[in-house]
Amino acid sequence: MIRPRMFRDRVAGRPVVAGVLALALSGAALAGCAAHRAAPAADDADGLPHTTVQVSLGRCGTGWSHPRSGVQVFDIHNASDAPTEVDLIDPRTQAVYGEVEGLGPGTTRPMQVTVGGGSYAFKCLPDDADAMTGGTVTVPGHAPAGPSAPAVSEQDVIPATIAYQKWIGGRMTVLAARAGVLKGDIDRGDLAAARRDWLTAHLVYETMGAAYDTFGAADGEINGTTAGLDGGVTDKDFTGFHRIEYGLWHGASAAALKPFAARLTADIGALRRSWPQARMDPLQMGLRAHEILENTVQFELTGRTDYGSHSNLATAAANLAGTREVLSGLRAQIAARYRALPQLDASLARLSGTLDGVGHGGHYPPLDDLSRTRREQLDAAADDAVERLADIAAIFDIRRTS
Amino acid sequence: MSDRMGRRWFLRGAAAAGIGTAAATTAALRPGQARAADAPPRTVPFEGAHQAGIVTPAPKAHATVAFDVTANDRAGLADLLRTVTDRARFLTAGGDPAPLGITAPPSDSGTLGPTVPADALSVTVGVGSSLFDDRFGLSGARPRRLRAMDSFPDDDLDPARCHGDLSLQLCADAPDTVLHALRDITRHTRGALQVRWRMDGYLAAPRPSGAPRNHLGFKDGTANPDASDARTMDGLVWVADNSGEPAWATGGSYQVIRLIRMRVEFWDRVSIVEQERMIGRRRDNGAPLDGDRESDAPRYPLDPKGDVIPLDSHIRLANPRTTATADQRILRRGYNYDNGTDSNGNLDMGLIFTCFQQDLDRQFVANQKRLAGEPLVDYVSPFGGGYFYALPGVTNRQDWLGRGLLAHA
Repeated sequence: MIRPRMFRDRVAGRPVVAGVLALALSGAALAGCAAHRAAPAADDADGLPHTTVQVSLGRCGTGWSHPRSGVQVFDIHNASDAPTEVDLIDPRTQAVYGEVEGLGPGTTRPMQVTVGGGSYAFKCLPDDADAMTGGTVTVPGHAPAGPSAPAVSEQDVIPATIAYQKWIGGRMTVLAARAGVLKGDIDRGDLAAARRDWLTAHLVYETMGAAYDTFGAADGEINGTTAGLDGGVTDKDFTGFHRIEYGLWHGASAAALKPFAARLTADIGALRRSWPQARMDPLQMGLRAHEILENTVQFELTGRTDYGSHSNLATAAANLAGTREVLSGLRAQIAARYRALPQLDASLARLSGTLDGVGHGGHYPPLDDLSRTRREQLDAAADDAVERLADIAAIFDIRRTS
Repeated sequence: MSDRMGRRWFLRGAAAAGIGTAAATTAALRPGQARAADAPPRTVPFEGAHQAGIVTPAPKAHATVAFDVTANDRAGLADLLRTVTDRARFLTAGGDPAPLGITAPPSDSGTLGPTVPADALSVTVGVGSSLFDDRFGLSGARPRRLRAMDSFPDDDLDPARCHGDLSLQLCADAPDTVLHALRDITRHTRGALQVRWRMDGYLAAPRPSGAPRNHLGFKDGTANPDASDARTMDGLVWVADNSGEPAWATGGSYQVIRLIRMRVEFWDRVSIVEQERMIGRRRDNGAPLDGDRESDAPRYPLDPKGDVIPLDSHIRLANPRTTATADQRILRRGYNYDNGTDSNGNLDMGLIFTCFQQDLDRQFVANQKRLAGEPLVDYVSPFGGGYFYALPGVTNRQDWLGRGLLAHA
């Protein structure tokens, strides 16, 4: 299962409200200090060359008068009266080498970058104002620059988000049908069939991970665990797939499970009816590309979400399929920005192959039945994948470009 | 806390509080340079014929981690060892982590601040016998004594906390430096390594002087051979050319790690006389029972029946100090561990016993056999650990840990 509370909100190309106020206040309070600290910092405690760069009304990134290559720090001071984002870019390609987000008025923040031979410019994106790019600075020599990528804007990800949202709509149809079969089994009193059909229904839901945040409270109702519930498995708010799982694998009667099955199909039906009106935040795409499998590592490969079915490995495989669905929509955008895409593909193939190696024809053993070697192989493959997917989330953090 | 540590921490505090950073940095280094001869230097050189962390002075924070290698093949193992070497080189020297801009999360965890201090970190890598199975084509390269750790009659081994393909010993001035290094190395080797077991430890301060005390309250390590004496180390610790070991192993050393639980509640219910007779030393100042000071050598020939130092006392069995047993001595590098509580509320604490030697059987195993059945066994219980071979050192910037081993046909 995936728990929305784990996911963090990020600033996605829209004005920050509360944060800006706080920064403006602290900026005013510290204005006296900041003026002193903005003085050219010679080579600092970090042992790196420092250059103080100014941002002021109508001017972006002045002060870089002695360009040199290598690892260095730009101490960026915002002398304007509004918070701003500052990027160091290649003005020809718009590739971003470094960024400082939410730089409050009167404050100075360091941007550490590896500068190579080539041309650079600072680009300022003040809140509620158009972007401006400062003068181009040419760094002599052929030293290699640090990693960079063109920023991803909301527009860049909207088509993939819409396509994904449609795909989720299709999955909901399948989910509703399979949950209906599960309900039919329980209503009929056929618990052996219910245990089988519980898994097929649940695995559909487990492929839909990038949409859970958009589902809102429905995700907890459909796929919540006992975490945070005082009464544990008997808590009145414990509903959905895991509640039914608990009953099916702990000797509950069909009669006892009937209301939970009815509730599940009703919750899924309501979600399905509301979905055409839902609008997924494009920010979710990059974020979930890594967080779906982060949840797999945290909740499935530890067995935390096992309420009796011992189906964590099947869930992990469904989560991987869900991750691949998100990535497939972003693929062209990733390829343009991420040099290690072949290694990411290989890593996901390794995880897929490792899961196939422990499952037989889609039937997976309980986690605890894996030998130590198998489990280490599986954990290693999943850990490798999340480490690489973290880069995708970083690159696909939605940024303003104009 | 000794004066030395107190002064160092004070200076760090001053730097953190923002007193002119450049000046504070310089000042913080000076006491390190002026410290007593037994104090570890702030930067432990990574390169050398032997790995650091074996005969270099033991700083107070420690972690021992055993890993299994999950790399698919020999090339993957070589990549892994090159990566561990690169990270160890950076971490032991300290410096600024690479900026990755918007293309990735930060390259460093930041737990040591923006600039990573060396902080006397050493990174010591060993290989276990399981690495020499059929996965990597290394079966012909195994050091001749290396095998899965023996189970001795007084052991109670938990398979989950024994053995491993690789051992990693991290030692530094502070626990956050050790944990930072562990996070960094595991992050960079994700996919190729999985932690098999781990134990953190610490070196107690001298109380009030001499060897640090273990959880039994006794000074531990008094009779250790002099690690600063190169000739002694050549005779006891390092594997030399023409020793019968594979050529790649020259400059390495057998590493024995034993996780030893100490039943401290039980021990605290034992009279002081009985405690001291089990160990063979006084508890207050560490002197052998036939001497006055910690530095006094026990004179066993004058006490042939063990009237003063019992024949079955720990120190007498472990090191009988005869000509015949002189080359059986081991170089210990132990750390106390403290690991929460047992299921019945007893304190889970003990010793990460680590020792290095030239010949596993001639030294550690011979000692261990002599100790079998000693009275102390009721109070200590080895439950984990492993035999490893500490790789030869990295001798230049192009070299990497295990290069010689991987070059072996």
